[in-house]
Amino acid sequence: MPKHESQSGGAQPDELRISQSELSHEQLFGLWVDQQLNDQQRHEFEQRCLENEPFAEKIQTFNMFSMQSEHYQSDEVPSWDRVSTFDTPEKVKWWQWQGLPTLSFATSMLAIVMVLTGLQVQTNDGAVTISFTGKQSERKIDNLVNDRLEEFQKTQQLALTNYTQTIQQQQMDTSTQLTQYLLGASRKERREDFAELIKYVNEQRSDDQLFYVRQLNQLQKDIYAEPDLIGSGNINE
Amino acid sequence: MFEKTDEQLIAKALKGNKQAWLNLLKRYEKQIYHYGMRMTGKNEDAMDLMQEVFISVFRNLSTYRNEGSFKSWMFRIAHYRCIEFYRRKKPMQGLDDTPEIESEAMSAADSIHTSQENKQLISAMQQLPLAQKALVELKFFGQFTFDEIAEQTGISANTAKSRLYGALEKLKTLIEVDYA
Repeated sequence: MPKHESQSGGAQPDELRISQSELSHEQLFGLWVDQQLNDQQRHEFEQRCLENEPFAEKIQTFNMFSMQSEHYQSDEVPSWDRVSTFDTPEKVKWWQWQGLPTLSFATSMLAIVMVLTGLQVQTNDGAVTISFTGKQSERKIDNLVNDRLEEFQKTQQLALTNYTQTIQQQQMDTSTQLTQYLLGASRKERREDFAELIKYVNEQRSDDQLFYVRQLNQLQKDIYAEPDLIGSGNINE
Repeated sequence: MFEKTDEQLIAKALKGNKQAWLNLLKRYEKQIYHYGMRMTGKNEDAMDLMQEVFISVFRNLSTYRNEGSFKSWMFRIAHYRCIEFYRRKKPMQGLDDTPEIESEAMSAADSIHTSQENKQLISAMQQLPLAQKALVELKFFGQFTFDEIAEQTGISANTAKSRLYGALEKLKTLIEVDYA
């Protein structure tokens, strides 16, 4: 509950200028709550409390609630994990160092600049050669190209020779095989022809023998059938 | 033995002194806990809010510039954490909306940590919109001036006065009901 002491000296200068009628209920209430009423405002405040019932009720409610809040019992806080609020940030690991992205960016830029400017670093004995533009002398390139071409030519010639030899060998083999085949085939055909001839001759001889046998049989039959005719000499055929 | 000031404890805590931080925390935990109780009406929510507030305070400790009291600075953080807490819990409810009376919220005041007088007061406060409730809390329990309240809640001092004035209208009815 605010103490209603007169604070004419402590009031704000602009507040002093505000006339009684200009102060709203809220403003007057606010000044009273913050104990900043001057004599005139205090008089106005008391006047309103007597004459304005809703205003007076609000002041009464304020006092009542203020009294209740004073009797509020602040019990002990239940136990809780206080240490969990001590949320210290972990120490940054060296690989999480904030300068790493900057450093990598700087090195990337350096590399780009080196490429764009055509950096060339050459040491012969130490064998360190850094070159980005590749501006080697024409002669070097010609030599290199000639060497390569010569090497390529040799390789090609060798391959061609090998290929020719292989083809020749293959052709020779094929010819030999063909000759052998032809010889073999003609021998076989002749052998078969002779075999056919001998077979034919044998068949002819067999047929002839059979024919003669029949003739002889017929003759014999004729002789035995008509013996008289033999003496007369009328034997047919 | 002389008790260390808030500023001394803060300086030590910033250097990683856990004990200094715990001493500072213990100095204000009761106020923040009961702030949470009155603002949320539930012991569990008050505990959660208190933890969130202190975590936030610790993380922002380095930004405290000794302008105004530490308590005032801490309650400003508590106010914003409380609003976030409400938005998470009741995303559809505005700061000036009158809350629906929840049986759960009313019965929460029956917690073992709450006395009968406190229960009436907490129950009455739960029926105020969050914006008015924050004003009542800071004025009656925080004992802050309207200028300090305005600074903490990000509104003008006149708006703060109007809100409190408006809140009294509702509190009048609620207190009358309680005492009836």
